[in-house]
Amino acid sequence: MDSRPGDETLLLAVAERDMGAFRTLYERHAGWLAIRLARRCNDRDLVADAIQDTFVAVWQKPQGFRGDGDIGAWLWGIAIRRLVSRLRTRSRVAAVFENTEAAPAAEDQVLLSVEYGDIGQALARLSPEMRAVIQAVVLDGLSAKEAAQLLDVPVSTVKTRLHRAKGRLRAVLAEGPS
Amino acid sequence: MTGWHLDDDILRRYVERTDSLAEGASVEQHLLSCEPCRARVSTAAVGVIDFAAVWDRTRDAVEVPRPSVFERLLRAAGLPAHEARLVAVASAFRSAWLVGVITILAFAALAAGIGQARGMWLFLAVAPVVPCLVVASSYDPWLDPALEPELVTPYPALRLILLRTIAVLAIALPAVVLFGLVVPGRAPFAFLLPAVGFVAVVLAASTWVSPLRAAVVVSVVWLAVIWQLATRSGPPGEVLQAWAQAGFTVLAVASFVIFLVRRRRLRQVRPWR
Repeated sequence: MDSRPGDETLLLAVAERDMGAFRTLYERHAGWLAIRLARRCNDRDLVADAIQDTFVAVWQKPQGFRGDGDIGAWLWGIAIRRLVSRLRTRSRVAAVFENTEAAPAAEDQVLLSVEYGDIGQALARLSPEMRAVIQAVVLDGLSAKEAAQLLDVPVSTVKTRLHRAKGRLRAVLAEGPS
Repeated sequence: MTGWHLDDDILRRYVERTDSLAEGASVEQHLLSCEPCRARVSTAAVGVIDFAAVWDRTRDAVEVPRPSVFERLLRAAGLPAHEARLVAVASAFRSAWLVGVITILAFAALAAGIGQARGMWLFLAVAPVVPCLVVASSYDPWLDPALEPELVTPYPALRLILLRTIAVLAIALPAVVLFGLVVPGRAPFAFLLPAVGFVAVVLAASTWVSPLRAAVVVSVVWLAVIWQLATRSGPPGEVLQAWAQAGFTVLAVASFVIFLVRRRRLRQVRPWR
């Protein structure tokens, strides 16, 4: 491995108000966080704001990371909530979940069977709305309320869609890949 | 570590968003714990947002000190954040304000200490001119270097100066009225109208001359008047008569009208330096 300081070392330095370490942390993480946020929200300005908020929060409370798990997961937890909170203050922004759904290529099938088995195909058969809810609640770990703000739908809708999506998945998985 | 890493095709599909939900989720789960793959995604992220600009804004945001107690007080009073900052920003203003309040309180205490007549003369000589001195120093460009960028920004100078004046009066006056319980007679309350009148005079005069110069002239004139009255050994009650108070009211209103009429002249603050 190289001799660059690890993220936890950087975070300790940030707690000591080290601007250089803060900058390194930003350069190391802003990129992938921005890409992942941009997959949730089409408005690039909003993504930029959320990235800024995230790192300001890191600067203010670096001790929020308690050393359990990876720093990446901690940062993402902050970033997605900052995005939700930015979406709350700005009214109409299209959150994006609808990928241009290309037919899975052969390599994908291999990867999916390794990573997810039949679930990948089951997910692919859900409606975009249901996939959006699954992504927000199950994969991003947001609460129903946060997901509702991200997707700009009522909380009750999130809960209904989640319930239906789970039912669909269960049914698809029970009948096996078609 | 699983030894499994994103291959180039998966990475490209992820960045271009042509992957499926399951593949994207798989990539994202992997990224949370894989430093090398994060670095590769970050490299591909160039242009998603303006990272340099966001860094500049982030650094600016964390380098701004937390709002002072005074500024938070102004915000709690309902002033928008940027105006609270403008009112409170000048350190000259804060220290002038502090010195002013302490001076009034000190003289109130002193007046209470040295007894009825002389104490009241002393208080009446000093207390009415302190607010106008504080207001003047709160926006005099010579004392307040922060004012220059403020006036360069397209922000109404009138509003800024009035906000600061109100901030001075709103915080200084209750403190003094509180001390009115200590000082004999009605002096602490009687000082309010001349104080407001002098502030208005300084505001009006600052459309011609530097506010600090105006405040100093007003103070000197007032001290001379008080000196005259005191050496004629009349009772201090004379200044408190209804006709005197009415005079101060007229002075305040007239000066304020002049100030409003000539407010465009405030734009010419900077040549005074």
